[in-house]
Amino acid sequence: MDTLKVRDAQEVEDAVRAAIANEQPIEIVGHGGKRTIGQPMATNAVLELSALNAVAAYEPNELIITVQAGAPMADVLSLIDSKNQHFAFEPMDTATLLGTAPGAGTVAGMIGAGLAGPRRIKAGGARDHLLGAHAVSGFGESFKAGGKVVKNVTGYDLCKLLAGSWGTLAVMTEVTLKVTPRPESERTLVLRGLGDVVANKAMTTALGSPYDVTGAAHLPGSALRTTAGALAEIAQPDQALTLLRLEGITSSASHRAQSLRAALKSFGDAELIEDEASAALWRAVRDVEPFAASGPRALWPVWRIVCPPAAGGAFGEQLARESGGEVMYDWGGGLIWAALPPAADGHAKALRQRVEKIAGHATLIRGSDVVRAAIDVFHPQPAGLAALGDRVKRSFDPTNILNRGRMSRGSAT
Amino acid sequence: MTILMPEPDQSVLARRDEIIAALRRIVPGEGVISSAAEMKPYESDGLMAYRQPPMVVVLPSTTKQVSEVLRYCHQNGIKVVPRGSGTSLSGGALPLADGVLLGLGKFKRIREIDFDNRAVVVEPGVTNLAISQAVDHAGFYYAPDPSSQIACSIGGNIAENSGGVHCLKYGMTTNNVLGCEIVLMTGEILRIGGKAAECAGYDLMGVITGSEGLLGVITEVTVRILRKPETARALMIGFQSVEAAGQCVADVISAGIIPGGMEMMDKPAIHAAEAFVHAGYPLDVEALLIIELDGPQVEVDELIGRVEAIALQCGSTTCQISTSEQQRLLFWSGRKAAFPAVGRISPDYLCMDGTIPRAQLPLVLRRMNEMSEKYGLRVANVFHAGDGNLHPLILYDANKPGEQDAAEAFGADILRLCVEVGGVLTGEHGVGIEKRDLMPEMFSDIDLNQQQRLKCAFDSEGLLNPGKVFPTLHRCAELGRMHVHKGQLPFPDIPRF
Repeated sequence: MDTLKVRDAQEVEDAVRAAIANEQPIEIVGHGGKRTIGQPMATNAVLELSALNAVAAYEPNELIITVQAGAPMADVLSLIDSKNQHFAFEPMDTATLLGTAPGAGTVAGMIGAGLAGPRRIKAGGARDHLLGAHAVSGFGESFKAGGKVVKNVTGYDLCKLLAGSWGTLAVMTEVTLKVTPRPESERTLVLRGLGDVVANKAMTTALGSPYDVTGAAHLPGSALRTTAGALAEIAQPDQALTLLRLEGITSSASHRAQSLRAALKSFGDAELIEDEASAALWRAVRDVEPFAASGPRALWPVWRIVCPPAAGGAFGEQLARESGGEVMYDWGGGLIWAALPPAADGHAKALRQRVEKIAGHATLIRGSDVVRAAIDVFHPQPAGLAALGDRVKRSFDPTNILNRGRMSRGSAT
Repeated sequence: MTILMPEPDQSVLARRDEIIAALRRIVPGEGVISSAAEMKPYESDGLMAYRQPPMVVVLPSTTKQVSEVLRYCHQNGIKVVPRGSGTSLSGGALPLADGVLLGLGKFKRIREIDFDNRAVVVEPGVTNLAISQAVDHAGFYYAPDPSSQIACSIGGNIAENSGGVHCLKYGMTTNNVLGCEIVLMTGEILRIGGKAAECAGYDLMGVITGSEGLLGVITEVTVRILRKPETARALMIGFQSVEAAGQCVADVISAGIIPGGMEMMDKPAIHAAEAFVHAGYPLDVEALLIIELDGPQVEVDELIGRVEAIALQCGSTTCQISTSEQQRLLFWSGRKAAFPAVGRISPDYLCMDGTIPRAQLPLVLRRMNEMSEKYGLRVANVFHAGDGNLHPLILYDANKPGEQDAAEAFGADILRLCVEVGGVLTGEHGVGIEKRDLMPEMFSDIDLNQQQRLKCAFDSEGLLNPGKVFPTLHRCAELGRMHVHKGQLPFPDIPRF
């Protein structure tokens, strides 16, 4: 494996130009923590960005931070935390689920994967917080997209395309992200013992209330059976947990928690968990701890299913029952994590047939090399959209040099 | 007209009768407008300094008709300009002499309201405000609220990614749109996203939003709706200097408070607005902040106190806090009417739209005053202080020789200044034709080429809304070539406008 560790944006440009000249596709990595997501790539040439790790500018009052692509997430999170700020989209740390080194991961890796946490329902995902970027396209050209202010509609919003493109469009070298003040306090209401469909209704009720819910998750008892950590501490055997989060200034969070508890009375008497204990629960949901790679389900493929929120409960319940697997729900039912028993195709065919009926899509996030090579890891697109996606890919990377084949088998992306 | 548009294609104009007949076969009855008198209302959008009658106006009422019109135009090399309600302020819907103006005004249905998924499916001609009104009875609303929301269409909002005073807290259009049905220039109909929070594949919805009608024609859109906040209250705070007001904005944000709206007006804007609506604005201050806090009563009451204390520390000289909904709306009335109010004190004005880092506000205002003296034209300022989005209003009289040119030069200088201090050319009105030729101030040829390559992925012949956003037209084949050298165009014969 040839690894080229670049030190600055010029070296990235040189490396991409060399790859184009040599017709040598390259794999782009930061710390390499997400290399096992996507179709296996047929290349031995690796471009490593971890040395581009500087914080270029942090302006807390402007609510922005500009960092080099390879800046470690842990460092950046710690820096903005020191000013009482955070990334409102609460990006998940994939290390728990994938079994990679804890605390590793770069900012560009996070954006390339398009990550989002439980606050997605309120604050959006990485796409909504990437204000600007410098990147090198598959033409070997450094270009910039977006800007460094929070409100900008100048030209096409190429940042949206870069977020979630898994390094197939361009090599990001520097990014500007929006930061926001961290909530003063948080409260979590816990309902116990609800079935998935009823829990979905409870979450829908909470999210349709005026109490500004910033997290709505449901963990069936079976998913909690083998988990450790914060969720295990409040779990009881075979009893489902439904979690609803409220954040803001202390008086408001407490007030809203009481109002929401009353509004959810028909679903049971909710317990209240506050501040750090509450935060620990949401980190566990964010990082999908019940399906951790260190747990007993380490060999089970794990799917990330996105669907209209109200359809989630019924879908997940049926999926778990028929596959013999386990599911957990985030985003009020709009995000389902499913750990399914090993199968030759990782259940891809059956799962996708079913998820398309509710206008959702499914991505295999954890799977063996064999399964990943046998199936479409990312949800296949209808022909017209797939063709447009290919044209978009070629408009950035005409010779398919960057992360070739990672997002789609048998096409340019 | 100082901004040049692409030269009309005489061979297309020569076929005008044949083209109109073909379009009538696709959209029968009154859906095709071709007389000069009837086309008059379509010859400009909100940037009324620029006018151009289109070759023909087509008003389809179904997606199928949109598809067939575009396919016909694609096959026959005819340019198309999409148009919603025509409220764009940057000339994004300015017609072309040899182009079809495709109006989406008949797409007025709200197709589905889905409270469980907090989503509404609408046609693009529905006004922004109508979406909120349709879900108001259940306590929901659609957050982005451009000042023109009573008239502007949601399709146009998506084209321009237009925001309003709520952007800082609730995001722009792009953060509130879930999916769409879009027709490409070839006539191909695609569905992107839906009621789920994320699309599969590349985030095409994200790049279509704000693409100013250059990538495709939207025929249906799914937006996210939010539950209305329990209450809202506003503070109206006066300062003796713009610096002090700017400091207050920064201090509010660094105290961890994100208001629902945070707007600033300078002295000329305050005086114009007060004379117009009598909102009770203090006339002896240099800057006025209107800060609105929304949420649960208990939270709003506490934050009002915190903001008031911050303002005092920053040297506020007046501070009024709304105690009723009526009073809150009164505070806003002057800000919301600032543009027409300025219209009363000047025969004409240009409304500019740039964003700057907030800390640069005092410098930018000082430099703007210097420019005001240089050009001999007054300027009044209203801006979205929370996110640094400026709207300088340059006052002029179009009947005085040279004043419009001077106003435009002044406006361009302001936008150059925005970029110089680390900001951008437009925060919510779009590039259109107005700022098209300033794009190189912010983007290099390589940056712009990359954007135009993306355009080619959607519209390989460059037939959809050409002459907007990009200062130079390119052929897609040329853009597809590798190793275009910095600053050197491989085809010098292709005209820059």
